[in-house]
Amino acid sequence: MSNIRYAYMNHWKNIPYKSIPNFREFYYQDKSNTAYYSDWDNLLKYQKALGFDGIEVAPWDLADIIPLFGSANAFKQFAAERGVEITGMFHGAHASHDKSKFDEVLKAGKEAVDTIVGFGGTQMNTCPTDNYCGIGPLSREEVAQCAHVMNEIGRYATDHGIKLGLHNEFFCGINLNDHREFIELTDPRFVHYCIDTAQIAIMGEDLLDFYATYAERISGFHLKDTADPKQPDEVRFSRDPEIQDDGKRWFWELGQGVLDFPALYKLLKAHQYQGWITLETDGSPDYLASMAMCRYYIDHTLKEIYD
Amino acid sequence: MSENHYAISLDMINRHYSEPNRNRYESKYYWEELYTLIAAAGFRHIEIPFEPVWQFGGRSGVPMTPYSINTKYGNADKYLQLLNAAGIESVSAVSFTPNLFVRNDQLGFYFGATGHFAGQAIEFAAALGANTLVLSPTAYAGRLQHYHPDLAIDDPDFIAQTRTLIEQLASQARESGVTLALRPEYWSLISLPVLMDIIAAAGDAVTLTVNTAHLLLSGQDPSDFIATHSEHIRYIQLTDTPLSQSSPFRLTANPEFPAQHASQVFADVGTGIVPLHSVLNTLKTQGYQGDITLCNSHTRDPMRALLRSRRFINQLTTDRKGA
Repeated sequence: MSNIRYAYMNHWKNIPYKSIPNFREFYYQDKSNTAYYSDWDNLLKYQKALGFDGIEVAPWDLADIIPLFGSANAFKQFAAERGVEITGMFHGAHASHDKSKFDEVLKAGKEAVDTIVGFGGTQMNTCPTDNYCGIGPLSREEVAQCAHVMNEIGRYATDHGIKLGLHNEFFCGINLNDHREFIELTDPRFVHYCIDTAQIAIMGEDLLDFYATYAERISGFHLKDTADPKQPDEVRFSRDPEIQDDGKRWFWELGQGVLDFPALYKLLKAHQYQGWITLETDGSPDYLASMAMCRYYIDHTLKEIYD
Repeated sequence: MSENHYAISLDMINRHYSEPNRNRYESKYYWEELYTLIAAAGFRHIEIPFEPVWQFGGRSGVPMTPYSINTKYGNADKYLQLLNAAGIESVSAVSFTPNLFVRNDQLGFYFGATGHFAGQAIEFAAALGANTLVLSPTAYAGRLQHYHPDLAIDDPDFIAQTRTLIEQLASQARESGVTLALRPEYWSLISLPVLMDIIAAAGDAVTLTVNTAHLLLSGQDPSDFIATHSEHIRYIQLTDTPLSQSSPFRLTANPEFPAQHASQVFADVGTGIVPLHSVLNTLKTQGYQGDITLCNSHTRDPMRALLRSRRFINQLTTDRKGA
């Protein structure tokens, strides 16, 4: 029995079909590869075939998935029939630093928890607040307010069988200067941490030191590489830095960047990490190819270290 | 009709559906080259969909909101200067559809968000110097009915709220120097006869956009429709489809993607069955002098669609296949 189970973070954009009953005929309508990226049936089979047994959804998927399938539970059943389970959902706790928005942010967080329960998931990976540009730098009181909100959402999540994992982006209002202070202000009974390996490295954290420090609180990973760790303030604090004007990519397939994943996996072994690790391929022009590249890297470089 | 009437809709770029290489479409560089390619294909005018989703989450590379334009260029004037330098002389229209706001069982949310963002779309059009806001009268009927199972086509309360919303938007548009032009759509919760009543009752304040494929899929002959309603027509979207009817899928949650039999509903202009030459002849007969925008929604290949659009226009004056 493996200690690690692999999932895939859903970055497919809107998927218009559940399945395509007339696949050959649909292909011949334009003789392009559109038919191969248009239905959940095939996309779930692709990731299952590549050994990704879970899928994490995102709130921006819901407006299409729910009407298409009828309910979260129907999507869960559809995925399960293809051997894939829903691990959880990403959540953005917008404006959590703002005391006046407490009720609103808590309500949205609880609704997200309820949605994840409907999907049968167990994880809610949560960006603590808005982008730095526009709100930063946060005051000590605002950082504490973010932590307070996380504790309250986390308490509700825990009561419903969901683990809230903080998920910091490199451009988030919580940033390098207050990242660890913020974590320390949250309640370890209710608030865990999902390490996005590339995001925290770009922000300026040392990936290995961060994991070693917080190993007991780690509830999951978003696994991806980067060639650009430790970006300066003017990049991280700029407006909308995630999508660069010139097409520069922050995120790469495992082994295509500079992060030391073998060293991370040695630490995972030392701490006997057990649970989901979720591959992310955002920024790639071809998610399926990226997924396959990463699977090869996992099988041939990481698995022999810790599985 | 002169060349100057023809515009290309940026709707030909797939922003929302998965396909390899789609990531390019979220970066500024892609669009800035695209404008020059549109001009190279002989088009000097563009139509821009207003999509509020691009002002959420830092995706401001897609130039479809005021937020995006202001973030990347400072203001609309500087964006227009960039377009002009690329060979694009004007924005023919801004279009807006409220499908994004069908996401819960609160109709108040739907109407409130639609009104708020349609108002933004009007100001976006005004800032870009576009004369027309093309407005979808309702979101997808099937998606509305998913969250509101009791909502029937032409529900009286829904019509009343929609009418009030349209009146408010028409008033705002008039003050901003923009004309509101409602677009009949095959997937609408308001039937075509009722929509025409709303337009007729509004007088000059509300006009009509003709979208040729939508009309065909609504069971109309586009040329007959144009001849009958010419006094209301403000704006033309030339669209094509290989399908002759929409009844099997028009009330589904995804009416652009027939679930029982996967099909591309919208075809590149000139490659479907809509009698577009007849449409253009009718417009000429009617003395139509407004904008005509070629829309290649959901094209599999935007560059091919662009050249297919140019080929279609060239072939209006010659029988040569490779014109």
